[in-house]
Amino acid sequence: MYHNIHKIEKISHLNDSTFILQIERRDLKFTPGQHLVVGKKDDKEFRQYSLYNGINDDYFQILVKEVENGLVTPKLKNLKEGDEVEINGPMGYFTLSESTRKNLPVVMIATGTGIAPFKSFVVSYPELDYKLIHGVRTAEEAYDKELYAKDKYILCTTRDDKGTVKGRVTDYISTKTFHKDTQFYLCGNSEMIFDAMEILKEKGFSANQMFAEVYF
Amino acid sequence: MLYHLIVLGCQMNISDSERVRSVIEQMGFTHTDKEEDAHLLGVLSCSVRQKPIDKVYSRIYKWNRIKAKRNVLTFVSGCVLPDDREKFLKLFDFVFPMSELNDFPKMMKEYGVASPLSLQTTDAEIKIEDYFNQKPVQSAFKPVKIAAKNSKTTLPSNKDIFQLWKTQPNYQSDFEAFVPIQNGCDKFCSYCAVPYTRGREVSRPSAEIVEEVVQLMKTGFKSITLLGQNVNSYGLDCENEILFAQLLEAIGKEGEKLNDPSWVYCTSPHPRDMRRDVVESIAKYKTLGKQIHLPLQSGSDQVLVKMNRKHNLDRYRESIQYIKELVPQATLFTDIIVGFTGETEEQFQSTMNSFDEFKFNMAYIAMYSPRPGAQSFRWEDDIPKETKKDRLKRLSEKLENISLHYNQELMGKEMTILVRTTERKTGYLSGHNEGKIVTRIISKDPSLIGQFVKIKVTEVSGFSISGELVENTAVNSRKTIEAKV
Repeated sequence: MYHNIHKIEKISHLNDSTFILQIERRDLKFTPGQHLVVGKKDDKEFRQYSLYNGINDDYFQILVKEVENGLVTPKLKNLKEGDEVEINGPMGYFTLSESTRKNLPVVMIATGTGIAPFKSFVVSYPELDYKLIHGVRTAEEAYDKELYAKDKYILCTTRDDKGTVKGRVTDYISTKTFHKDTQFYLCGNSEMIFDAMEILKEKGFSANQMFAEVYF
Repeated sequence: MLYHLIVLGCQMNISDSERVRSVIEQMGFTHTDKEEDAHLLGVLSCSVRQKPIDKVYSRIYKWNRIKAKRNVLTFVSGCVLPDDREKFLKLFDFVFPMSELNDFPKMMKEYGVASPLSLQTTDAEIKIEDYFNQKPVQSAFKPVKIAAKNSKTTLPSNKDIFQLWKTQPNYQSDFEAFVPIQNGCDKFCSYCAVPYTRGREVSRPSAEIVEEVVQLMKTGFKSITLLGQNVNSYGLDCENEILFAQLLEAIGKEGEKLNDPSWVYCTSPHPRDMRRDVVESIAKYKTLGKQIHLPLQSGSDQVLVKMNRKHNLDRYRESIQYIKELVPQATLFTDIIVGFTGETEEQFQSTMNSFDEFKFNMAYIAMYSPRPGAQSFRWEDDIPKETKKDRLKRLSEKLENISLHYNQELMGKEMTILVRTTERKTGYLSGHNEGKIVTRIISKDPSLIGQFVKIKVTEVSGFSISGELVENTAVNSRKTIEAKV
């Protein structure tokens, strides 16, 4: 099945602007890190969202932040259980190979809702040797932080001091050292991804150790 | 009954048009170049830029004026964005994605018109001759009668594309052919709307591809191009299919068995999936044309991230190193966008520098224009047109210098050329070498068109070479001519 109309099973509002949309999965397969193209049924506008759920969940979840005056997110925010969306996917190659997740340290760097594919990695692959560096403005954006082991989750906040550290994720990684075989997964806005890649290159990591999913 | 077909856009649309012609002709229509004579008028649309979309609107407004005087049927297919599709539904009689081409005869029947060939058996309400001969009963801008069966959803589906690929194409040349191997795109570059017009990446069964290529080789085709939006992502969407390198290998082996009668090319690969084994296959087999088209789009990592290209300069550089190491004789083509949203002079300079580094033989350079449906459409197109033009000019000049330098090295050399056509102005023959460098052949013998010939290069310029025939006879087999060199 390549695309279809799926029902909304649940919508969970995490704060005023951010929500989790739970969509019926049916028999669709996916690999953690993949995304869906989602839009309200009969609408012409669609956006891509990384899957937020684990591989064994019998539903799909996407983590959405409402964009003021946006063409898609306000409509998604107003959906109710039983409403329908059109989806296309799952698709994409922002995934972890078996050898990576079993043999190599993985550092995941996210801003905002860019944490979505990493939550899917963590809940799907309990064996994963990871560090998750999450950049947000305030600690209330640390969505589902209880799912991550305290010593593996670094919350970087820029507008309050309730995180692990105060400042940007790029400030944090520039002060840290990483194992030479580390695989870096980056998800979030393009400026953060570019800046982080430059820092990692300066630290001697190659392009083949960096994987990015840009959120717009 | 006559049909007229307008094909806009890329090679994929040209390839699709060969299957469209086949289906329409199986319905009993005959092609005409004159749209004013046609009973069935169709267009294969392209959404990569605004210009072809404007052309679609221009044609349908004209056709609907014809419709006010006599009954004609109109259809649109190809790359159509959801927004345009909705508008087309009000203007055309038939709107369908290419994957549903094989349902076109059925759609026509459901419209209430029998196709010429189905007159004997149809239970359609109106026979087609009666339909076209009667005075128009509908207003020029009547509502659509038939849309594709997937109309209940907005995003394109590729689940029926396999039927399209099984359709025998009506090749428009007897020496050059396009063979679709893959359709759709999962990459979602921020400037591009193709994922919303072509749908997801779907690979054609390899056995079917190899069979079509072998058949083309056996019937004398000299240039065969494997087509797809992401050819080297071939097989990644399947659990039980070979990957692109193995597909090339399978074709290379078949070419060997037939004494390498053709040059087989592919376009376009994506740098993300340009693995070493793909280049190894191209290097290993003589049949595989030594010309590689690898779209870079920008030489700035920052712009590449913003474009969501899923490769950076280092990864691109790695692919080029494979090519230089394994197929040093290969020519290198690329695609570039200048003036992308926010592109600074410094970032543009990185693209200029990348030309010095990679020494492209050819680059298709486009000034950025926002496309509805693409992510970047929502961003301010903040680079002035004059700046874009200036960057296009500077980059084109650099390309010409690099290409000229390469071409100068070819002076005096003998090489095999595929003769393709006649130059309109001079009457000389024109073609290309294995690296797809445009070549003028100092001969006016049209019987050589579609043949391999051997020339000696006597003159070069920025983007082309010219030469005299070394042997004034056409040689059908490439192997034969190369053995003589």
